[in-house]
Amino acid sequence: MDVIRRLRAALGDHNVMVEPLELHLYSKDASLMRGKPTAVAFPQDTEQVAEVVRIAEQTGTPIVARGAGTGLAAGASPTEGGIVVVTTAIQDIDIDPDNRTAWVGAGVINLDLSHAAAPHGLYFAPDPSSQQACTIGGNVANNSGGPHCLAEGNTTSHVLAVEVVLAGGEVAVFGSAAPDPIGLDLRGLVVGSEGTLGIVTRALVRLLPVEPGIRTLLMGFPDVIAASATVSQVIASGLVPAALEMMDQRMTMAVENWLHAGLPVEAGAVLLAEVTGEEEGVESQAEVIASIARANGATSVEIAQDPEHRALLWKGRKSAFGAIAQLAPDYYLHDAVVPRTRLVETMREIYAIADRDDLVMLNVFHAGDGNLHPLIAFDASDPVTYEKVRKAGDEIVSLCLRNGGALSGEHGIGLEKRELMGSYFEPVDLDAQARLKEVFDPGGIFNPAKVLPQGSRCFDFAGGRPPEGTWV
Amino acid sequence: MRAPEVVTPVGVEELAVLLGRATREGLSVRVVGGGTHSGYGSPEEPDIVVSTAKLAAVDSWEPDDLTLVVGPGARVADMEAMLSERGQSMVLPEHPGDATIGGVVAAGVSSLRRGRLYPTRDRVLETVVVTGDGRVVRSGGRVVKNVTGYDLSRFHVGAFGSLGVIVSVCLKLWPAPPASATVTLSDPGEANLVARPLAVLQDREGTRLYLSGTDAEVEALTSRFAGSVAPGLDWPEDPDGPWRWSLRVPPAFTSEAVDRLPESWDYVALHGVGEVRAASPDDEGAMAIREWAESRGGRLVVVDRPEGQASFDPWGRPPPGLDLQRKLIEAFDPARVLNRGFLPGGL
Repeated sequence: MDVIRRLRAALGDHNVMVEPLELHLYSKDASLMRGKPTAVAFPQDTEQVAEVVRIAEQTGTPIVARGAGTGLAAGASPTEGGIVVVTTAIQDIDIDPDNRTAWVGAGVINLDLSHAAAPHGLYFAPDPSSQQACTIGGNVANNSGGPHCLAEGNTTSHVLAVEVVLAGGEVAVFGSAAPDPIGLDLRGLVVGSEGTLGIVTRALVRLLPVEPGIRTLLMGFPDVIAASATVSQVIASGLVPAALEMMDQRMTMAVENWLHAGLPVEAGAVLLAEVTGEEEGVESQAEVIASIARANGATSVEIAQDPEHRALLWKGRKSAFGAIAQLAPDYYLHDAVVPRTRLVETMREIYAIADRDDLVMLNVFHAGDGNLHPLIAFDASDPVTYEKVRKAGDEIVSLCLRNGGALSGEHGIGLEKRELMGSYFEPVDLDAQARLKEVFDPGGIFNPAKVLPQGSRCFDFAGGRPPEGTWV
Repeated sequence: MRAPEVVTPVGVEELAVLLGRATREGLSVRVVGGGTHSGYGSPEEPDIVVSTAKLAAVDSWEPDDLTLVVGPGARVADMEAMLSERGQSMVLPEHPGDATIGGVVAAGVSSLRRGRLYPTRDRVLETVVVTGDGRVVRSGGRVVKNVTGYDLSRFHVGAFGSLGVIVSVCLKLWPAPPASATVTLSDPGEANLVARPLAVLQDREGTRLYLSGTDAEVEALTSRFAGSVAPGLDWPEDPDGPWRWSLRVPPAFTSEAVDRLPESWDYVALHGVGEVRAASPDDEGAMAIREWAESRGGRLVVVDRPEGQASFDPWGRPPPGLDLQRKLIEAFDPARVLNRGFLPGGL
């Protein structure tokens, strides 16, 4: 086949996979949706990515960029077939400690970047739960978040420039280490575009100084309501902690059963808070949080005494999804966001949906910014349950929208939520986004069928005829 | 030349109709808020001036959510005064004068606290615009964390209204910590005694460090410094003069940028950010500074200049992706009626 022959000529035989097993391995990301790629390409540098893009364009083949494949919204599942471009070979890290920035290859693993920056006293703020596996390219594509984005913002706040392969194989650099690059902010547009506008091969990221003081608090509450009230009051007090994470009782029990970290399994909800700053500062911040927690009826307040203890508490939070394996073989993890003030009522309604359908629902989420991650543990081999889980998922998203929320806080739209876009945006809004996509990708080869529902670009605009009596 | 007609729409629908008509009839439109950022670029003389003065209402303020939804014509100073009653801030420029929310967002100018609390771009959660051809387009959302669709809401920041007239913005608010202090430093390097200060600012009078946090925190941190300590945050005004500039360099070059400014230039330098706000009586020496800044990956941008003085490009070397930028603008404003000439590259 012409595409495979040309890819092999461009990248070398060993950098192009076409065997059925290999294709199967790359046929999906961490979502439940699978595609059928023609080939999997492993470009070794930006120029090779550009060559793959040209081949895709000339042959009319879809091209799907992929990092580690940890995405949960099928953004990297080649559901339209075509070439999966795996960027993991682009691995360079060039740290500029004076400017607190780094040029980072798309294939670099998130945690490896922070490890590389550590000798300079620096770190990369976005820290998705998958940070031991996910890549910077994926973080940029999805504008990823993580527990520590409460105070520091999602990935977009930490990307100063991108090197991106555009349609036609053109390589461009948008943005700069200097603040406020002039002209339209193309860098900002590329971040979070899920590989639909081009393929990011490198990013210039902001690194933050590791602060000398850190306190991690683990607080048990009688219920989610008391924990949520604590979250609101902490922020109202003028404190924005580095992280404010909540686990419900079912999740705490599942994690404790596996990790033995001494989590308060009798508590109805557990709040994990972290404050960073100067040594003198974190002590007083931790006291403020602890006293608010006690005023809300906290049944336990524990402050990590050493780095090992802190690491253990965070392991409990970040490995929560792994602990699900003891309950059921599969899980469906949602990502939705509501205004913080609607947290309690939203949680109540979410539990009601799960209880009604007899589903095993656990919750671990970024309480500080209203980003929910309801998780349903189930056995996907049972089609009846699968259908129930899927329907409950749709209901949860609808309910978050009704409560003033959005479709996704940090996982992206991909294919998973594409058809829900119409329930969040008006046709005219989707049309504007579709026009933007058309400008970047007139041939429609970059990750087709993702983010925008079919037919987005058909808003019929009448041109605003003036009503009677209007000023003209 | 005929003076442009000034229109002050009272609603989004009226503005949409006006822009629809401008598109059909090929009329050019300039959008004006407080008029404080009108010195940028090389804007063309418009047929119609649209004032946002009557699109100034607060749509919603949710103190517990830390979000504010407001019309573009609201004055930044008025909004900050309102928010400060609940100890909150939009983290926009500290001395905005008559600047409006719409103007600050469209020009993409930021707070002096941006090194710690991020620039204006990162404070925008949702925007509604009326495009050049009169479509009302919403992007983003009223939640603090959101990746639903393309990040179009922030794309309007610094776009100088070229993609549409901003008619509503949702901003992420920030709580003011209970204590704060301003410390005089002998040298910008002394600021390294604190990992993440609110700001480190240098002007002709010296260097100051800005701190905030709990009472105990601020007290302990200020005791590390030998210089004088004043309670509260004493923010300097932006320098003023016939010529005003924005010098932007990678942060490590901030001190060198300051050293390169002629004696006659007044300035406020944001250490750790790489932004230097400057003002000068004339443009002498400016081209040498621009050449140096551009060689370091930076910029010297004209923020304002005396009328009729346009002997050089106010933005300098054009940015990459001009062709894409032009096409993107045309996607929102097919007849190019809005704010022509503000952006670099004659866009």
